[in-house]
Amino acid sequence: MAVQIEKLSDSGWAWAAYEPDAVRPWNLAQAGHLYRRAAFGASWDRLQQALSDGPQRSIDKLLRPQADTVAFNRVFDEYEASVGSMDGLRAWWLRRMIQTPHPLLEKMTLFWHSHFAMSGAAVKSTRLMQQHVGLLRSQALGSFRRLLEGISHDPAVLIRLGAANNRKASPNENLAGALVETFTLGADHCTKKDIREASRAFTGWFVLRGKLRYIPREHDENIKQILGREGNFTRDDVLRILLEQTATSQRLVRKLYRWLICETEQPGEDLIAPLAESFAEDYNVLRLVETMLRSNLFFSPAAYRRRIKCPVEFALGIVKALEGTISTTQLATDLADLGQNLYDPPTIKGWAGGRHWINSATIAGRHNLASSLLRGSGPYADKLNPWIVAKKHGCSTPESAMKFLLDLFLQENLDPVVYDTLLKTDQTGIGNGSDDIEGKIRRFARAVITLPEFNLA
Amino acid sequence: MFCTRRDFLKATLGTSTLLSLTSAAPNFLVRKTMAAAPRHDDRNTILVIVQLSGGNDGLNTVVPYADDEYTRNRPTLHLQPKDVHKIDSYLGFHPRMEAFSRLYKEGHLSILHGVGYPNSDRSHDGAMRTWHTAEPDDPDCQTGWLGRAADSVWHTNRKDTPAVFVGPIVQPFSLMAEHVIVPSIQSPDDLTLDSTPAKFQQDHAADKGNELLRFVQECTTKARVNSRRIEAVTKAAGGAEYPAFRLAGTLRTVAQLIRADVGIRIFFTELGGGGIGGFDNHANQLGNHCALLHQLSESLAAFIHDLKRDKLLDRILVMTISEFGRTVKENGRRGTGHGVAAPIFLAGGKLKSGLIGLHPSLTDLDNGAMKFHTDFRRVYATVLDKWLGFESRIILDRQYEPLDILNV
Repeated sequence: MAVQIEKLSDSGWAWAAYEPDAVRPWNLAQAGHLYRRAAFGASWDRLQQALSDGPQRSIDKLLRPQADTVAFNRVFDEYEASVGSMDGLRAWWLRRMIQTPHPLLEKMTLFWHSHFAMSGAAVKSTRLMQQHVGLLRSQALGSFRRLLEGISHDPAVLIRLGAANNRKASPNENLAGALVETFTLGADHCTKKDIREASRAFTGWFVLRGKLRYIPREHDENIKQILGREGNFTRDDVLRILLEQTATSQRLVRKLYRWLICETEQPGEDLIAPLAESFAEDYNVLRLVETMLRSNLFFSPAAYRRRIKCPVEFALGIVKALEGTISTTQLATDLADLGQNLYDPPTIKGWAGGRHWINSATIAGRHNLASSLLRGSGPYADKLNPWIVAKKHGCSTPESAMKFLLDLFLQENLDPVVYDTLLKTDQTGIGNGSDDIEGKIRRFARAVITLPEFNLA
Repeated sequence: MFCTRRDFLKATLGTSTLLSLTSAAPNFLVRKTMAAAPRHDDRNTILVIVQLSGGNDGLNTVVPYADDEYTRNRPTLHLQPKDVHKIDSYLGFHPRMEAFSRLYKEGHLSILHGVGYPNSDRSHDGAMRTWHTAEPDDPDCQTGWLGRAADSVWHTNRKDTPAVFVGPIVQPFSLMAEHVIVPSIQSPDDLTLDSTPAKFQQDHAADKGNELLRFVQECTTKARVNSRRIEAVTKAAGGAEYPAFRLAGTLRTVAQLIRADVGIRIFFTELGGGGIGGFDNHANQLGNHCALLHQLSESLAAFIHDLKRDKLLDRILVMTISEFGRTVKENGRRGTGHGVAAPIFLAGGKLKSGLIGLHPSLTDLDNGAMKFHTDFRRVYATVLDKWLGFESRIILDRQYEPLDILNV
């Protein structure tokens, strides 16, 4: 292991594709790790398939699934178009995350939802928010350049930032501030003056009756000075200038590193630089994600369980493993209580994430959600049944079912004391209060998913 | 191999002392780490906000019964001198606020007159947002003042939430934080674990090099400890009597969580309901307002006496807020319009005096409403700096002149 850690400071080795060998074998733990990061967890069949496919083929399938994702998403777009409330959108998005043949696409859409963090409560239009998240999805694994262009044209974004009437006489600095600072460069790489000048370039754009309109006479035609450049810049010029800054690609690579690889350590300059340079060439998100997922670094101890699951990952990890269909309307509400209200991130900086997800109150909330999902009655009814899942995958005794559930949810070798005690201790609380096998297995599953380890991605 | 705690100890303490210190060293190190963390929140004082939604009519709450202008402007709504609970020869509490009158006499209630802010647009949304963000000049402000307060005391080893909303409505914007997750709860059950996991889960040694795992473990242990404490408090016999109002139930929950001592410094509660709120009485105000004030008065008095009995009152400060006062003159429908200045009530064990500031004039008006003389952000700053020990300059983005209202 020491050799591995040393090698990680060598960026060439760190980003090279992982190839299993005797020291670093491809096993259930690695497959579980991949599906936690690149998807929302996995069923037993999926894990077994990954085990036999090996890492590269598994990653191929996650990046470019065979199934008709376009058709699947079209159907869900239609469902969403017919809902009249933000609550409806939340429920459909969660359902999409659970059922999609392309979970990585939804995972990245969620990433962008926290990057371009628009709040439905502020936009106050279900239709515009649906379009907005649709835009994020359309380029989630596409081109960051096109995504940024889309964002700068997006009525939801303009309304959220108070830029729906961007007149020459009173340019809106929030929109410019968000695009220059929050969405691209970061605070250390621009000045108030850059933002002020950029805001003049955005004048002339209006949202009228939910549609973007350009009114030429309201555009400021004077010379602007932005990031050391000078000219009669338009909105598109500003975006081009922002994408030419190395700070933009560096910052996005760092942010994605935190999302896909590790949130405990700040990666060094030499680790980030090669990816940032490559990303800046064409802003191809898929290639960047692919490099990260295939890498030695991704499959190293430096990444393993080095992220805290956001509430969505926590809950869907349970649902995916237990192969059930639950009420996502109820789930959306419960996730909001845990701090992740979809379509409504706290500020335009998105969810802070990491340790911020966890405190004694949210742990109590996660614990009680886990119980609620496994109870066999109540708001989630009897949709998730770990005993039936265990039997389906060949377990016939409670003992084998318990070992199966540990592999299904955690994969790794737990501390032997925990492992033994878990198997020996009779858990209390849920499962219709019954002593039958089903109740016992429900309680056991609950004990596993309330282990601290299960909160880590 | 990762750098383990053992390696770290070796480096810090030297090899020779390690063997003799194996059991003592981790605690020593834990203490040292904690001492290095920010200590803004090392006090144990508690702030409880009661929001009166809709814009409370201060004039019919603390009544200037001896002012002819009051009677003249409110032909149907004015309250009779013989009915009010007199504070002095000019002011008295609303007839149904007997409990507030008692609290006042006991020294557990202060009235801050004439609180407001400049250039109010007098709309519910705008005014409530202003009280929540404490940034009247920034309509796009994305965080609330108490959310920022919670963020300001966060550090990477913090295990308890510093603030919580207790109530059935959508969480008020005051608590909107950029980083911290502020929970909304309806009862102590929301913070208790619905089963007690076996103890081994807190004892077992996890992946030694993973600081995140250690953090989650510590928070899990803390959740379990808190849960037990809350259960012990809620199951204890002989609890104080609370009236049957919703606010009283909410405040009983707050009192239980205070007694359980689970690290929450800020509680936000609400009276008047979601939406525009029950205090917004443009027509037939008298009866509705009367009922709400009665609930406020009785509920809060029960809360104060409950905590006083347990000798916890010296740690408690309650503050009421409302988006605005109301017009001096009643309208033609036995109601009032949106105003400007209104009184804030403070309750607790460390108050300086009963009446703070002058009652605003009933003749020198701003578009029909009493003018404010004390900016609400000065009250916020005082509460943050003097009471909670947080840094108001950071939270409110400016240093406001504190008020001399607390006995601390």
